[in-house]
Amino acid sequence: MWGKKSVMFNVSNLTVSVEDNEILKSFSLDVGPGEVHAIMGPNGSGKSTLAHVCAGKEDYTVLNGEINLNGEDLLDLEADERSTRGLFLAFQYPIEIPGVTTLTFLKSSLEAHYKANNREVLSTPDFMKLVKKKAAELNIDDSMIKRPLNVGFSGGEKKRNEILQMALLDPQICILDETDSGLDIDALRLVAEGVNNLRNEKRSFVVITHYQRLLDYIKPDFVHIMYNGKIIETGDSSLALELEKSGYNNYIK
Amino acid sequence: MLTEEKNINVEEQVIAYCKDNISNQDIKHPLYPARLGAYELFRIHGLPSTRNEQWKYTNITSKLERIPSQSDVKPVPVNLDNFINNFEIVKKAKENKDSVLVFMDGAMQSQLSVISSDTKTIKVTSLKKDPIPDWAIKLNSEKHSQNVNEMFNLNTALMEDGAIININNNKGIADNIYIIHVGNNDGFYNYRHMINVQNGAHVNIIEFKISNKVDIEALYTSSIIWKIGDNCVVNNVKYQAHNQITIGFNQQYADIANDTEFNSFTISSGSKLLREFRDINCNGSNSNISISGVNLLDGDSHIDTMLSVKHKAPNTISREKYKSILNDNSKGVFQGNIIVDDIAQKTIAKQSIDALILSKNAEHDAKPELEIYADDVQCGHGATTGQISQDSLFYLKSRGIPEEEAKRLLVHAFLTDALEEIKDKKILETFADVMNNMLNRVSKGNLNV
Repeated sequence: MWGKKSVMFNVSNLTVSVEDNEILKSFSLDVGPGEVHAIMGPNGSGKSTLAHVCAGKEDYTVLNGEINLNGEDLLDLEADERSTRGLFLAFQYPIEIPGVTTLTFLKSSLEAHYKANNREVLSTPDFMKLVKKKAAELNIDDSMIKRPLNVGFSGGEKKRNEILQMALLDPQICILDETDSGLDIDALRLVAEGVNNLRNEKRSFVVITHYQRLLDYIKPDFVHIMYNGKIIETGDSSLALELEKSGYNNYIK
Repeated sequence: MLTEEKNINVEEQVIAYCKDNISNQDIKHPLYPARLGAYELFRIHGLPSTRNEQWKYTNITSKLERIPSQSDVKPVPVNLDNFINNFEIVKKAKENKDSVLVFMDGAMQSQLSVISSDTKTIKVTSLKKDPIPDWAIKLNSEKHSQNVNEMFNLNTALMEDGAIININNNKGIADNIYIIHVGNNDGFYNYRHMINVQNGAHVNIIEFKISNKVDIEALYTSSIIWKIGDNCVVNNVKYQAHNQITIGFNQQYADIANDTEFNSFTISSGSKLLREFRDINCNGSNSNISISGVNLLDGDSHIDTMLSVKHKAPNTISREKYKSILNDNSKGVFQGNIIVDDIAQKTIAKQSIDALILSKNAEHDAKPELEIYADDVQCGHGATTGQISQDSLFYLKSRGIPEEEAKRLLVHAFLTDALEEIKDKKILETFADVMNNMLNRVSKGNLNV
């Protein structure tokens, strides 16, 4: 597996528990630059736990394994450091924060990234220009970014806001945790287009989803079936289509 | 068995101090009868103990060990003017030619104070140096007759100085008056302001209370008595950031007539013990008041707010919105009492008290009370105490925002809707910097702990 292909992001033998329940069981995944990996699996297979542990949420106990980005183990890093190193988690349920405007949040976030990477922080007018440009690309209205973060946003607005953050922070590895949940067809298409616009030969994606529908829009290079804390089957995009027809039962032993 | 809650020594010290003070007063002074009466009451009742319902969560004598020693001579430091001007708020006030009244250790500093020459509508006299206007003598005796508030009586017995302000402005544009208090020497200080807002006047009164140094051991009592007429708009913002060893007892009484808007907002931080007592009376109809504030506590600070709002006439609205941030070993207390008289139909009264606790050892006690004797009213109260949401914190951190900054954003967000009660946005802006500094400190915590 290591062979010729270069690996940018990799999870190896990751075992994670929550309150003495093992959720991830020696989970491994290698992601090369520019690749899109889809992870599908029934409820309770550990998909969201994987996403949260990669991003550095603290409610989990990592018993074994590593998470590497560009050769650096992320497990010792705080969530904010993982973000500034280039990891991005698009939340299944983006958090509503009354009292913090979306704009303030975006500015704090971008400034933190620039500071951590020794880049000169943008002036406020330059920042505004950048946000407006990225927002327009995602069909996000100016008034939305002036509102408190995610408060009163529709499901589609929340997810577009996630993609806007992704576009601004320019991550290397994006983990999309059931980004399709709560979206109607039009919103789904808009969000998927946003993601597709961000695809390039360096940036990689791990797309966690229940449904093949999202993968109609975001074409994966690999599809993995996750069950009981690890990957039990890997294939190309045809695997997703097959799953849609026959369900998980053929793969779960 | 109840243990003895009072530290008899400090109580005796305070009574002896009062006795000594009263024997040195001029018995012909128009305020002497009030002083003497208040002293007699204080001598009988002493310092309030936790058996008094209004002091249930604050044990004065566990914080107040003694009257701080003081020297008779308190020279004004040469740099006091510079020190005060260092604050952006004061600098701006002077640039705008607003009236600025400066007090050091409770005494008015005429040479540092400015009364705006643009306005003939503000009259300021000093309680200590000038003849007391008749309205002030009358207001004073109204308030203290039958008053059972021990700390107000103590203040009446001991008051040395204060501003007596008469505002008679019909131009529809607010005058700005800044009252700056600087604690500069160890000691025991007692001052009283009386503010008469005549019919139709618009005024912003901004109080700013600070300690000059971290090691000044000050004990003070202060009172403000407001008399507010018909058709007035009064915005009052008080910012108090004492050092961690100051003990203060603030009393505020307000009588509000018809068709008036009164917004009073307090930003408090620091202090070993700070008591905020407020007694607000809506005596006239169609008035609209907001009594709100934020408390930012860290170290061993203790702030106790006791608020009583009385609706005594029909069609009045009151809002109380308080938010507290508590870190380290700090303690916050809020007791809020809304009384609606039987004639006060169509009253709308809303109270909300929220606390955000940032450490294991911080404590917040809230006790809302409604006493309603009218049948056609809308009254409600709510109190919450909680912690920073871990989900929100993770969300911000997952976008690269370091934990300290993320906490600061969330703490600030928690305060936002309370800060909206500062109706004059210019005033709010003037406090932005000092508030931010205070917030940065309190969100980090670990002050002297």
